[in-house]
Amino acid sequence: MARSNWKQLSALVLLLALACASWSCTVASSNELYFGKTDPPARNIFRYVTGDEPESLDPAISNGQPEARIYMALYEGLVEYDPKTVGPIPALATHWRPNNDASEFTFYLRHSGRWSNGDPIDANDFVYSFRRVVSPQVASRNAYMAYYIKYAQAYNEGAVFVRDQKTGNFLLAKDFEENVQEPLSSTPVDKTKGEYAPTAEDPNQPPDTATHESFHTPLRLTIPGDAKARTKLLNANAKLKAAVEGKELVPVKAEDIGVEAVDQYTLRICLTSPAPFFVGMLAHQAFRIVPRKVVEQYGAQWAQPEHIVTCGPFKVKTWRPYDKLVVERDPMYWDAANVKLDEIYFYPMSDNPTIMNLYKVGEIDAVLNHTVPNAWLHVVREKKDYMDAVEAGIDYLTINVTKPPMNDVRVRRAFNMSVDKQAWAAWRKIVKPLTAFTPEKIFPGYTQPTGDAFNPEEARKLLGEAGFPVTKNGDGSYSCPKFPKEVEFIYNTQESNKAMAEWMQAQWKQHLGITVTLRNMDWKTFLVARAKLDYNGFARSAWGADYMDPFTFLSLFYTGGDSGTGWQDPKYVALLDEANRSLDPHKRYELLAQAEAYMLKAQPVIPLDTSSVNWVKKPYVKGMYPNAGSLFAWKYVYIERDPAKWDLGTPSLAE
Amino acid sequence: MVRFIIRRLLVTIPTILVVITITWTLIKLAPGNFYSGEKRLPPAIEKNIREKYGLDKPWYQQYGKTMWAIIRHFDFGTSLRFEGQSVNTIIWRSLPVSAAVGILAYILALVIGIAVGSIAALKQNSRWDYASMALAMLGISVPNFVLGPILVLVFSLSLYWLPPSRWGGFPSRNLILPVITLSAIYMAYIARLTRAGMLEVLRSDYIRTARAKGLSEKDVLIRHALRGGLMPVVSYTGPALAFLLTGTVVVERIFALPGLGNYFIQASLNRDEPLIIGIVAFISITLLLMNMLVDIAYAFLDPRVRYQ
Repeated sequence: MARSNWKQLSALVLLLALACASWSCTVASSNELYFGKTDPPARNIFRYVTGDEPESLDPAISNGQPEARIYMALYEGLVEYDPKTVGPIPALATHWRPNNDASEFTFYLRHSGRWSNGDPIDANDFVYSFRRVVSPQVASRNAYMAYYIKYAQAYNEGAVFVRDQKTGNFLLAKDFEENVQEPLSSTPVDKTKGEYAPTAEDPNQPPDTATHESFHTPLRLTIPGDAKARTKLLNANAKLKAAVEGKELVPVKAEDIGVEAVDQYTLRICLTSPAPFFVGMLAHQAFRIVPRKVVEQYGAQWAQPEHIVTCGPFKVKTWRPYDKLVVERDPMYWDAANVKLDEIYFYPMSDNPTIMNLYKVGEIDAVLNHTVPNAWLHVVREKKDYMDAVEAGIDYLTINVTKPPMNDVRVRRAFNMSVDKQAWAAWRKIVKPLTAFTPEKIFPGYTQPTGDAFNPEEARKLLGEAGFPVTKNGDGSYSCPKFPKEVEFIYNTQESNKAMAEWMQAQWKQHLGITVTLRNMDWKTFLVARAKLDYNGFARSAWGADYMDPFTFLSLFYTGGDSGTGWQDPKYVALLDEANRSLDPHKRYELLAQAEAYMLKAQPVIPLDTSSVNWVKKPYVKGMYPNAGSLFAWKYVYIERDPAKWDLGTPSLAE
Repeated sequence: MVRFIIRRLLVTIPTILVVITITWTLIKLAPGNFYSGEKRLPPAIEKNIREKYGLDKPWYQQYGKTMWAIIRHFDFGTSLRFEGQSVNTIIWRSLPVSAAVGILAYILALVIGIAVGSIAALKQNSRWDYASMALAMLGISVPNFVLGPILVLVFSLSLYWLPPSRWGGFPSRNLILPVITLSAIYMAYIARLTRAGMLEVLRSDYIRTARAKGLSEKDVLIRHALRGGLMPVVSYTGPALAFLLTGTVVVERIFALPGLGNYFIQASLNRDEPLIIGIVAFISITLLLMNMLVDIAYAFLDPRVRYQ
């Protein structure tokens, strides 16, 4: 037996030696310029990992970023994301005009748009697709993106208008709310002045129509279509109840929403309120168009490879779920001549080391964002194919402000001030420290407020004021015996989250003498716990921009309940409303910044960092930039075969 | 024998229904849902989704609908996560992948395991015996989530000999590493079981009789000893084959293979109810069938079982 044990040991040693030898090979290769092989693929094919298996090829279904990148290959909308700035650039629309208060937009479509089956694309395709995405039956998770369109939210929520049968008039929203300021889109069209500022190319007003005039009426009152919810609302508001009593309830229909095909190639979108950032949102998958005929013919099956019809630069060639999705250049695409790749392979994968392995051996040409594991960074970050750029995303902790002791703003501020964000960023290596709630250096012209700086001294004082005195021990450490033990930090099970939780725990232990309990749970359980405020203390959070405007972050607290904190403040909401009504973009940003500062003072969150894109691409992949949204317009991407023109480092985002 | 098989098959059906019911209950008890994500949805959208998929109905209606479709048409419905893809299609598409890797691993494990085990038994207490049993011990103790990455590190990332992951069709070089990783532990078990079984049989009376009758050593070993010595291996490999066929979560994740195991873990994490139920039912059926096959194989190998 002793001999057998010895054999066992020697075998183990051998194996470990082998492993170490191979590891040292990997590390030794760190002298090379790039991470792994750099042989371009034989054909003009781009092999990419976009993340986990796509839920569906129907752009209305998934709200995920991995799918968004696939939809960008297969579908187009009015505009596309700029490869560098992620701002809107013309796609199926050649140009557009906002009205004078940005509450209505007119889009001019190109005449050459075609579906992959050869059918022409016109304004009616947009009307159909926009109505479809907010239809309650389709139940799209992206519907909220279209809520800015007049009555879209009411239609999606199954709401009803209230009509007085005697006069035939609808009840109006302004009669039941205070301080309603009607935007241009809700006031009758002024035929003499017009609502569009003349431009050099087009001094005329877009044509007026009966539909247009019907949109330009004061916003109608909408109440829940569901009897239970309606009764509850009416019982809470006597004035409303009296007004609705005996009136006819008219369901909000698809035709009611503010989208209109003015003519074959002109599309008008009428919004509930001014939204200057609206064009920037239109590249989102919610607004990419789908083929009406095919959708109506095949129902839920329409996006299966045997039926699918698309309108983007690429079309589906083959799809084997969890293996690969192959898309090929669509000759019907209006700009097919400028599409450089023949095919793109999308490999669905979610295990980061597995993805990086494939990248290293040269079987894939680029990987999705956030893919280089922390433990690999010291090697990969030195390479010339590492993409080092900031992202329109933040990492932060939510605080449940509804439970003591965290319902005391002094306690929340104390915890925020005792997290050293500089040290955090240095430890994470690639992120930038953040004290505000919008990512830094992402929105040009936006002057971000600064939150409380790292100040453990002040933090201990605040805790003392809140009734939890912090005392210094003989060995220089701190203790806070009165602080409740139930305060916890919840996170979803993942190695990097665990490391983060432990890091935060250590900070608070060191500076406040408080030990916060760590509790991990699986992803879906975690989402429920955070959303339902079923935790006492802190929860890990992250947010990525839906569109390039600070409002995509600030709107998290616009309505209560979905921020995961329980914090809600009418003054904050009023500031945001005022900002969005403002026609001057500078004034608007100023007001948004005021709102952000106001929110930071209440400290429902602990901001940590502006995240980093953290991905790699082979030097021969050109036309693909580490933009802040990690969204890539695929038609610009190509394979450069001349090594002299390869990228040596992160390509510049400057224009 | 036919009556035995029919009886076993009849017992299988209620077993499967119970398994499905338990699975259904567990899914309903688990917090979270298939549509939630980091971006929280407005309540209206959540309501629309729940209505679209019938999740707003009372539990007994949902349960009844699920069970009825399964009993009537053996239809597990449509995946919640993957719009428009039926569970049956997903299973039949991913099964060949898992089965290809599983069967290859099974054959590899059997051939090498039995060979190594037999040699170890015949040359008991020799160097061969110690070396092979040490390796077997290593195979049992090194989990596949350690072995897989080590093999990848050596043969893919350092030597660039083999692809590190992905499905490359059948047959392809992509299969080599996952098959070895998957078979290691089974190979090791089979080697140890074979050795133990053979050692016991080699000392038994009927082997002594066979030798006394003057049979050649080859005949004694292959016709008599091996047959008896493999009994423990048979009872082990039946269920093992079922597990190998229906996919292994870890290996399919490490090597990014589009097999059943990969779907299974993802479906659970995604709370994709119909898909979980479908895969659980499928795995249970395979497992029960394999156990039945083992019993039949026993009857062929060991006359004593046949007459009981």
